[in-house]
Amino acid sequence: MTDEHRTPVSLSGLPANDPHLQPAARNPKLVERVISVCFVVGTLCLAGFGACYWIDAQPWKLGATMGGGLLFLGVGIVAWGKYLMPRGPFVEERHTLANSEADRQAFAAAIVERGGGVVQRRKLLGGLLGGGMGIFGVVALFPLLRSLGPLPKDTLQHTDWRSGSYVVDQSGRRVEVGDLAVGSIETVFPEGTENSDRGQAVDQTVLIRVSNEAFTTMKGRETWAPHGYVAYSKVCTHLGCPVGLYEQELQLLVCPCHQSMFNVTNGAVPQFGPAPRPLPQLPLYVDSSGYLRSQSDYHEAVGPGFWERK
Amino acid sequence: MSDVINTKRSKQQALGRYGRVGKTLDELDDRLGVARGGRTFMDKIFPDHWSFMLGEIALYSFLILLVTGVFLTLYFIPSSAIVTYHGSYAPLDGQKMTQAFASTVNLSFAVRGGLLMRQMHHWACDIFVGAIVIHMARVFFTGAFRKPRELNWIVGSTLLILAIVNGFLGYSLPDDLVSGTGIRIAYSIILSIPLVGSYLAFWVFGGNFPGTTIIPRFFILHCLIVPLIIIGLVSAHLFLLVRQKHTQFPGKGRTEQNVVGSPMFPVFMAKTTGFLFIVGGITALLGAFAQVNPIWQFGPYDAARISYAVQPDWYMGFLDGALRIWPSWSFHSWGHTIPFEVLIPAVVLPGLIFNLVFVWPIIERKFTNDNAIHNLLDRPSNRPKRTAAGVTMLSFLGMLFIASSTDVLAKFFNVSLNDVLVSMRYLTVIVPILAFPITYRICHEIQALHGGGRRKTPNVVTRSEEGEYSATPSPRYVDDVPSHLEATPVPTYIHEESDESGDSGVRVVDR
Amino acid sequence: MDRAVLGPVLAEVGTGVTSPLFKRCAALSIVSLFALGPVLLFAGGAQASYKLTPYQSSRKNAGTPNSTMVKKNSDGVIIAYGDSSITYRAPSSALVTLGAALFQQNCASCHGTQANGVPANGTSGAYPDLVGLGPATIDFWVDSGRMPAANPRSIEANRRVPRLTHDQALAVSAWVNSLSPSFPLIPYPHLKNANVADGAALFALNCASCHTIEGDGDALALGTFSPSLRKIPSIEVAEAIRTGPANMPRFTGNLSDAQVNDIVKYVTTEIQHPNNPGGFGLGGLGPVAEGFVGLAFGVGVLALVGFWVGERDD
Repeated sequence: MTDEHRTPVSLSGLPANDPHLQPAARNPKLVERVISVCFVVGTLCLAGFGACYWIDAQPWKLGATMGGGLLFLGVGIVAWGKYLMPRGPFVEERHTLANSEADRQAFAAAIVERGGGVVQRRKLLGGLLGGGMGIFGVVALFPLLRSLGPLPKDTLQHTDWRSGSYVVDQSGRRVEVGDLAVGSIETVFPEGTENSDRGQAVDQTVLIRVSNEAFTTMKGRETWAPHGYVAYSKVCTHLGCPVGLYEQELQLLVCPCHQSMFNVTNGAVPQFGPAPRPLPQLPLYVDSSGYLRSQSDYHEAVGPGFWERK
Repeated sequence: MSDVINTKRSKQQALGRYGRVGKTLDELDDRLGVARGGRTFMDKIFPDHWSFMLGEIALYSFLILLVTGVFLTLYFIPSSAIVTYHGSYAPLDGQKMTQAFASTVNLSFAVRGGLLMRQMHHWACDIFVGAIVIHMARVFFTGAFRKPRELNWIVGSTLLILAIVNGFLGYSLPDDLVSGTGIRIAYSIILSIPLVGSYLAFWVFGGNFPGTTIIPRFFILHCLIVPLIIIGLVSAHLFLLVRQKHTQFPGKGRTEQNVVGSPMFPVFMAKTTGFLFIVGGITALLGAFAQVNPIWQFGPYDAARISYAVQPDWYMGFLDGALRIWPSWSFHSWGHTIPFEVLIPAVVLPGLIFNLVFVWPIIERKFTNDNAIHNLLDRPSNRPKRTAAGVTMLSFLGMLFIASSTDVLAKFFNVSLNDVLVSMRYLTVIVPILAFPITYRICHEIQALHGGGRRKTPNVVTRSEEGEYSATPSPRYVDDVPSHLEATPVPTYIHEESDESGDSGVRVVDR
Repeated sequence: MDRAVLGPVLAEVGTGVTSPLFKRCAALSIVSLFALGPVLLFAGGAQASYKLTPYQSSRKNAGTPNSTMVKKNSDGVIIAYGDSSITYRAPSSALVTLGAALFQQNCASCHGTQANGVPANGTSGAYPDLVGLGPATIDFWVDSGRMPAANPRSIEANRRVPRLTHDQALAVSAWVNSLSPSFPLIPYPHLKNANVADGAALFALNCASCHTIEGDGDALALGTFSPSLRKIPSIEVAEAIRTGPANMPRFTGNLSDAQVNDIVKYVTTEIQHPNNPGGFGLGGLGPVAEGFVGLAFGVGVLALVGFWVGERDD
């Protein structure tokens, strides 16, 4: 095989005995046999897929037979094309995409002179139509956007915790003051919301027993943690993931999503990671029957930041 | 005497030179006029280089997505209505969950072939986006985006964005614990946009998180709207490719004015059909042997529950990594909050990256002052600045991807999670900055090497009777005569001091 | 007997708990003591007759003797309690002598000969005080191999091949408990009464945030790690949940015995023996591992195939 045979030739007008039309394989008969084996194995695999499906075999058997079948058939077809078909290389001329100068001038003339002339002469119409199209574009967006959902109004600023809400766990059981030992953590909700989407998404709160006595996390919050029960919003102030990971010796609440770490003892101030604000703390009190209740709603909006957040 | 003689030969002659097939084609041509166009199409030459097959991986995995996806739509119920699951998977039996999740569990366990289809669909998506990325890298590093193909570059970049978005929408559909967390994060990202964030978030989700409309909306987007756009853009992509003809590497017989390769029919069609089958086969084997997205183990989404080690699927990793390492900058004054710690990594950064990608052909034209038509590709080492810029961007994105797995890295290497995160902050800045000059240097070194970056040919060294060595290229295969790659010259002697060196005592050796 | 009942009541009042609930309970118990003393002894449910340590909750059937069933030995010491979900049993008192010897050999060099955290060189507080922690705590640490500690200065003691056998661990816990008897006792969950679906839901809410939903554990803050749950016997799972070792929070009144039993069943069946119908589980690492496999085996292999299908430069 000499150099000349690797020179690309054009497809048209080739004599039938041109070496470019010969298969690439040195031993086409052998290659043909190998390819036929591939095809047979592939077909058997695919038939096997049918059988496996019929007997409701496990998914991996279905996948293995399908995969093996397709793979063998594919390898065979590629080998056919690569080794047994005309080896080439062939060449084809690119024709310049661009048309002649005369054509381009005519095209431009059609647009500029005909179109331009029309608009130039009827400037008022053009302007009015443009304005109309603009307004159409704007109002077309209205149903596409506004009908999708309600206005946020004040919804993001409040949760369902109220003054006197009973603290309940996810099964609705009220938390009593003797329930948790030091080092315990529980996910709690205001009574009545524990089964609702809003309750879980917005009201979710972690209740941690950090001590046996009343605990102060920050100045001004002396009454917020009676008997050592501290409650923080479970919604991370970074992106809203539930901050359920409590390390009791390090006294850290870690958010599993992006590993913001909040210090439980000083008001959940973030001491590592991307969260920008402390977790809001829920003021608690213990009523005369020994149940834990909230003094009021959180004193700030819970969760991630948004424009209207004060 | 009858006028018509009924013999085999006369029938043959009546059919014409090409028999029945020819007759059928004639009928088609009468109606559609396809003869000339069809011949031209079948003679079209496609260059054969292996790196041109990367885009085909993407195309064929998309076809697999369509086929398996249709199967899935017949069983998946895109509803957030709460149902109680009663089925073969014991840990979920009796639990309340959305119908979306229940139907996905049903698909995985009760529908014959359902789990295989689900897994093939998921693997095909991972492969789809991966193939687009390496295909895009090939196009970038070889300069195939230059005139006249800038439009195709834009179409392709849009396809990348749509593929990533559709993947996110798709794996969020089952409403499981892991993907539901991703939806919560997406909601918070929308919320973080100044001025309009809360409005947009409420409109997209139909209210506060989680609401009941997001899954049905994701379903329509994932199954109808985005795939239609993708199909349209892929068709445009292929049309432009066929119209403008594929690029090719420079080589023997190849010029700016021609294309060298195999004809569409039968060679290229055989290779590409075989490749389609191989892509299908690999995807099916992955779907058989590698479990992916086992949503039944995750359980249904509940806004108060979360798992640790929740990363998004790999192609969203750069966003997750950026969100992890970004410092907690937040603007909070005058009654308003702008959460920059969310806005910059999740909105501004990807916006900048993709905009840079889109306008790169224009940037390069400005820098190189090159408005000529290019049908021949560059070797990456011959364009050191472009290659270095590309490697810098890829290493920056790579660092972000690695940053997304900080907890897995800390566990695997048994180091403190905090240390890993802090190091990733530094590495994400340092590695790309270092990558540029290193790549630049490597490109120049390759250029300086004789035959650098090309397939090496062994030399057969013989010694004549006088003792002279000579080297001739030794073809590995009988027919393999690399013509334009000369043998590497064997050093013959050491130069005397040459003027170039200037310094005495410096030897310059011929290599 | 009066002292035994009065003691905890006074202790509660003494720790500064001033809530009306406790005052009421204290008054009630003093009255009922005189009225119902013998009945209380055998009914064994109404009021705790043990010291409520900082680790214990007042909720019924939550790991303390405030349970449906309480069994005492002839000396009136509680040796078992619980309900149909979990039975808590004290280690046999016959093991105490063995436990004393094992403790002096393996533990006293750090925790001190009196198990109070004062080692031989007398630095008080250098090592944890083990007195009054209850047998379940001690048994967990020793049986999981975490103690004796390989490196006392490491951030956390990791699970290793246990140095002491099960019975030896029980013996050590028997001796330490004998110094100051406390609770919880060693839990023996009755898994056939457990509901694995409830366990899955509880696991997702309470455990997955540290141990991951697949139970493989991961790296937590500042060099700590949550361990993998794949190879832990059921007793240890229950012990860990109730006692909250190291950084793990303890689940006392927030989980009833039935709920703990459900979680133990879920962990020992689904987490430890997952049926992975889809193929190899890829290490339970989730999308990170899937990404690697998809890119390396999917795209990588296909690119290599493309390398075969296409031509190379001549």
